[in-house]
Amino acid sequence: MLRTSIPLAALTVGLLAAMPARADEDTLRKELDALRAEVGALKAEVNQLRATSQAAAPVATTSATTSSSGAAPATAAAPALADRTVASTPPVPAASSGIVAGDGTRLWGYGELNYNHPSGRGADAQADVRRAVIGFSHAFNEDTHVYGELEWEHAVVSADDAGESEVEQLYVEHQLNPAIAVRAGLTLIPFGFLNERHEPTNYYGVERNFVETAIIPSTWREGGVSVLGTTDFGLSWNVGVTTSQDLGKWDPTDPETRASPLGAIHQELQQAKAHDPAVYAAGNWQGVPGLTLGGGVFTSKVGQGQKDFLANGARLTLGEVHARWEPGPFDFSALYSRGEISDTEALNLSFIGNPYPVPKSFWGGYVQAAWHAWSQGDSSLAPFARFEEFNTAASFAAVPLGLGVPPAETQKVWTVGVNYYLTPEVVFKVDYQHFDFTDLVLGYGNRFDLGVGYQF
Amino acid sequence: MKKISRVRWLLPAALMAQPAFHAAYATQYMSLAEAQKAAFADAGEFRALPPLDAAVANELGAPGWSPQMFEARTVDQRLGWVIVDRVIGKAELITYALALDANGAVKSLEILEYRETHGGEVRLPAWRKQFVGKTAQEPVRLDSDIKNISGATLSSRHITEGVHRLLQLHQRVLRAAG
Repeated sequence: MLRTSIPLAALTVGLLAAMPARADEDTLRKELDALRAEVGALKAEVNQLRATSQAAAPVATTSATTSSSGAAPATAAAPALADRTVASTPPVPAASSGIVAGDGTRLWGYGELNYNHPSGRGADAQADVRRAVIGFSHAFNEDTHVYGELEWEHAVVSADDAGESEVEQLYVEHQLNPAIAVRAGLTLIPFGFLNERHEPTNYYGVERNFVETAIIPSTWREGGVSVLGTTDFGLSWNVGVTTSQDLGKWDPTDPETRASPLGAIHQELQQAKAHDPAVYAAGNWQGVPGLTLGGGVFTSKVGQGQKDFLANGARLTLGEVHARWEPGPFDFSALYSRGEISDTEALNLSFIGNPYPVPKSFWGGYVQAAWHAWSQGDSSLAPFARFEEFNTAASFAAVPLGLGVPPAETQKVWTVGVNYYLTPEVVFKVDYQHFDFTDLVLGYGNRFDLGVGYQF
Repeated sequence: MKKISRVRWLLPAALMAQPAFHAAYATQYMSLAEAQKAAFADAGEFRALPPLDAAVANELGAPGWSPQMFEARTVDQRLGWVIVDRVIGKAELITYALALDANGAVKSLEILEYRETHGGEVRLPAWRKQFVGKTAQEPVRLDSDIKNISGATLSSRHITEGVHRLLQLHQRVLRAAG
């Protein structure tokens, strides 16, 4: 959008044209002087225009001849001095504005602090800075940006602490045309409701739901190249070729593999083994306001071609479908996801005697209803209820009789609570979660949760 | 001579490169002229209206606000208005054009420039169509008479607030003028 106003462009062209093709140095010097004078005059004019139209929109540019009869609205349209600073462009809602860190550079962020109180086990109550995230983007030109998100989890990162510090996203995006963009780098897999939009204001309840953490391993990111776009009939699509999980990381003694099979073998582009490329395709249709229908498929071999590894042929395939309907103050959503890992027989034979071999299938789904029951000004109150059912090890590849482990029990969780939005970007949450069965090793047990989150 | 002939090219280039002349980096989906023409094909003129009075901007809760206002006219008749304004999406500005008919009801809403891929769903025609026919007498509020776009909540909310503000502006200023 490197546009200039018509008078400027006209003058520039005029100045160029005014220069004779052949001239001796004297005349050239005179011309340069004249040019200098003209530039000075232009600068003055620009300053004047700037003063008179501080917040002119950046649209009425070379198309200043806006009338079909050719009557240009010269006074208002010509001073298209697009001001790139947000600060001088009211009335943008201050509560949500990114911070302008420099020319074409923006900062944003989100964070959440949680308190969990397991029922009847007060000694296990825990409070935590769950995450603090700083995001940034920079525009190199009108079509090319870099996006990044830096995250700290659990407050303190050191050799003695449980915290993590991570680059959650880092990619360059280039807009090919108004409808299609390409991304290269560390990107989020566009699955479900949470993975791409995981800010605490975007979901109900203190903790992220189980299906989109245990089955779809939010925040799930891979390195690679993706192409994404939108169509006029309401379809947003995203396809990519990326890195994938590393089955070689599977530890059959670690309950983490049972809590979230894919989370346990993710690589997060940390010196990721990149022998086996993954492909994915995902889409959302929003052609009717208030309705979202979407889904995606991700598939990859996950052995990563390691020498002597027993499951180099193993293939992971994960699919999900979701729907959301927001009639008036109500918000209904549903999601189902299922994953399979093939060719694990030999690997699981080597794991015999361990509690957590590699599952052949895992799945989960939830339904959720919320009601924006009350609002005043910027504040609103949204009670909600969610029912989830999931199984992180629903079946295993066949092993010799008597040597296998039984499939996991299907867990069912009810979550009932309230999101109180002080502003649309600041949320206080309270909820109660009821589990069908307790398994403290996997983090299943009735509990009461409190949380505060924000994004800007 | 070579040096000077280079200067000849650098000068205009330098002029272009002045930050003040850069429009913000954005993907332009529609120009103002196209938006005007699309809304009022019969208009012979889009008369630029004087900048918004600072006192009125304050009154509408937006100090320093200065949307660009055009009156769509034939030779002897006012057809309506086209107003260009900007709001923030998530982190970047969205430029949009709102066309109002002679009665002050929304005729069309066009996204002119959008600067981030997140939340770009506000460009979907079906979503923008919700605003058509709205007047200052209606709530024009997200999750009430305007439905949200899942995954593009901030952009949806801010554009809805922007349209609401422009309808108030029409009620307060444009309706009476002329």
